[in-house]
Amino acid sequence: MVEENKKLFLRLMQPLIVGFTYLFLYLPIIVMVLFSFNKTKVSVHWEGFSLCWYKQLFQTPEILDALQVSLIVALFATIISVVLGTLFVVASVWRKSGYLSYLFHANIILPEIIMAIGILSVFTFFQIPLGYLSLITGHTVIGLGFVIPIVRARFVELDPILTEASLDLGASYTHTFKKVLLPLLMPSLVSSALLVFTLSLDDFMIAFFCSGPKVQTLSVYVYSMIKGGVDPTINAISALFLLFSSLLVLILCSLRVIDQVMSHE
Amino acid sequence: MKFIRKLFTEETAFIFSCPAFLWEFLFLYLPLTALAMYSFFVYSPVLQKFTFSIHYYLQVLDTLYFRAILNSLILASATAFVCFIIAYPVAFFLAMRITPKYRSFFLFTLILPSWTSLVIQIYAWFFLLEKEGFLSQILYTLGILPQSAHLLNNYFSIMVGMVSCFLPFMILPIYVTLDKMDPELLEASADLGANRTDTFKRVIFPLSLPGVYTGFLLVFIPVFGEFAIPSMLGGSTYVFWGSLIVDKFLRARDWPFGAALAIVGIMLIVLIILSFVMIGRLMTHLRTIKVVKNKN
Repeated sequence: MVEENKKLFLRLMQPLIVGFTYLFLYLPIIVMVLFSFNKTKVSVHWEGFSLCWYKQLFQTPEILDALQVSLIVALFATIISVVLGTLFVVASVWRKSGYLSYLFHANIILPEIIMAIGILSVFTFFQIPLGYLSLITGHTVIGLGFVIPIVRARFVELDPILTEASLDLGASYTHTFKKVLLPLLMPSLVSSALLVFTLSLDDFMIAFFCSGPKVQTLSVYVYSMIKGGVDPTINAISALFLLFSSLLVLILCSLRVIDQVMSHE
Repeated sequence: MKFIRKLFTEETAFIFSCPAFLWEFLFLYLPLTALAMYSFFVYSPVLQKFTFSIHYYLQVLDTLYFRAILNSLILASATAFVCFIIAYPVAFFLAMRITPKYRSFFLFTLILPSWTSLVIQIYAWFFLLEKEGFLSQILYTLGILPQSAHLLNNYFSIMVGMVSCFLPFMILPIYVTLDKMDPELLEASADLGANRTDTFKRVIFPLSLPGVYTGFLLVFIPVFGEFAIPSMLGGSTYVFWGSLIVDKFLRARDWPFGAALAIVGIMLIVLIILSFVMIGRLMTHLRTIKVVKNKN
């Protein structure tokens, strides 16, 4: 009888823990999104549905500027890190020095704060003003850490006969790269580009250290607003941000990129 | 001209790999090396030059700074431990109980919160826990808490934020190892007369340890360097390694000392990763010895 009870307890326990975990992860987000539709500024009392905070959001120039900065930085960081990362993977495997890609593991392993002070010190040392340039540089460093393992995983899986055949048939390295490799690598390029774009949009640490006094990304803007206390407009930005990144994650999941990264860690 | 073209075709691969390499060196390895050097020299006004000294490293041993580093170590270990306790049953449930059809949905919903901006996740907790916030109001109406209870700015709120932000990084690697496990092993264990508890203890858990190690590192390292969560959910009560770095680099502008702190932090992280690898090797080694002995 006791054994039976114990079994029943164990059987019920697991779904309960899972349920609580999901509640724990989602409760704050749901409450936050819900109150972005609240009519009043007093955060806890529900006064009725309204979109006024979203309206205000699009009338605040600082937010739109910050959004623009975030998008530009994410776009450039994505392009640079995917291009450089792919060239590096292809070249290092062709030169049979694939072990060099272990150098880039540091980008994933080290805490972001370390990379942030590194970039801050380079830009300060050469007296380059902080801004778009330092942000793009920093996000590219983070991006390379993800692009290289993902593209490499795909590249190693490819049949080497394909490139060898192309080279034997007289195509140059450049031609082989363009006509044979690039199309084959495309899925991994797209998924790593999406990943870097999301990471760059979400990043706070690099932006906090390296954005300088004039340029502000969205996450730094939200951070500085939170320091001033609760405000429904932050709820509204956060809700939109959430919607956007969940779309990106949906695409990423359908490309199975997360499995690839996880199996590589 | 011909020579240049020849050089180019032969060394294309080399030239292609250069930019990423340069980028990595210029923006990661070089500055870190420079900071490491910087932290070993002290400017003395008397001699009007830099002299080698471990002055800054002795300063790190100062109670205030030492305690901040210790705080970070404790917080990171505690978060990793709590995450492990919650994550294991969840990962087990996802890998063993859910049919593959629904798994991707569960995984997607699990990953989703941690892929939005960290700042937004923290703001969500801030909004929930704040003095007049949603949770304290509910707990007040239920009669659990007195009016105006402080749910923010304590160790509990920091831990809650940390665990909710980094929990998926513990669940996923454990899930991956459990998912990859050969079901025949479990059948073999059952055929050999082991009950469910024994199978879990002797087969499933030991085989899932690599995932646990990975998860531990994936949680421990970012929590150790985190600065936004303590500063937003913890107020100014607790000082951590990350907040010291921010203070030394952005506010006090005491770069050599900040560099020394950073180097000490990196050393600690490397030490922890190495000890984890060692523990993992030792465990497998001991297990083999045990199996061999049992055979004899």
